[in-house]
Amino acid sequence: MAEPSTAGRPFDADALPHLDALYRVALRLTGDPTQAEDLVQDTMLKAYRAWRQYRPGTNAKGWLLTILRNTFINDYRRRKLEPVATDLEAVEPHAIYRAVEDVDPEGAFFSKIVDDKVLEAVDALPTEFREVLVLSDMEGMRYGEIAEALKVPVGTVKSRLFRARRLLQASLYNYAVETGIIPPREDHDG
Amino acid sequence: MGEPIDCRQAAARLQDYLKQELTPELAAEMRAHLERCRPCFAHARFEQRFLIMLESRARKCGCPGTLRARIESLLRAEMESD
Repeated sequence: MAEPSTAGRPFDADALPHLDALYRVALRLTGDPTQAEDLVQDTMLKAYRAWRQYRPGTNAKGWLLTILRNTFINDYRRRKLEPVATDLEAVEPHAIYRAVEDVDPEGAFFSKIVDDKVLEAVDALPTEFREVLVLSDMEGMRYGEIAEALKVPVGTVKSRLFRARRLLQASLYNYAVETGIIPPREDHDG
Repeated sequence: MGEPIDCRQAAARLQDYLKQELTPELAAEMRAHLERCRPCFAHARFEQRFLIMLESRARKCGCPGTLRARIESLLRAEMESD
């Protein structure tokens, strides 16, 4: 059997530089460091065995993240007893900007929330929203790449991303109000 | 560049604009609107700061060294067995 290689490109040279991104996404998807390590390891072995299917010159990071995400959905997601959100597109959270435009129009409060709290809030998002937000806003993938990875239309990626951001902002806003980082919104007629 | 866009159209395009997913023509219309509309400019700046914050939090962690070493050794073993 021929060694898995694509036009002479060794797998490790193209894939290993993306381990940090793979681990970060795995951590956000599984919410657990041990499972994240297993997921990254499984992903790398699958990717190595499928390396001949990779088209050189295309986005190796996107290709690897697609394998990671599919592995997560097929092998890991069921381990977590997570309710399947049935009507995701109907979630319409408030735009937080309207609540803070008078007290903190530049959103400085986001920067005052510690890393762990921000990541916890990301982890609390429903999977369908979380994966889009992580791939887009935390790892910089394009709509088209995410649509391909998730096998959904670009319009679905956009609407999930929109709602994911709104949900995350609402969650961070509530945390900032609870901890006194920003004052609660005053009633305009009060 | 087409007709000037209004605030409602600008709000609908904001996400794609910040993701740099608009066509050059639509992005130019968006920029023109933001230059003359202070409320929309302020909202765009708020959303952009949120995204910058999120990306910076994401970059702070990476693959643990022990996992990296384990994967490298697994891959070596796979390559030798091929």
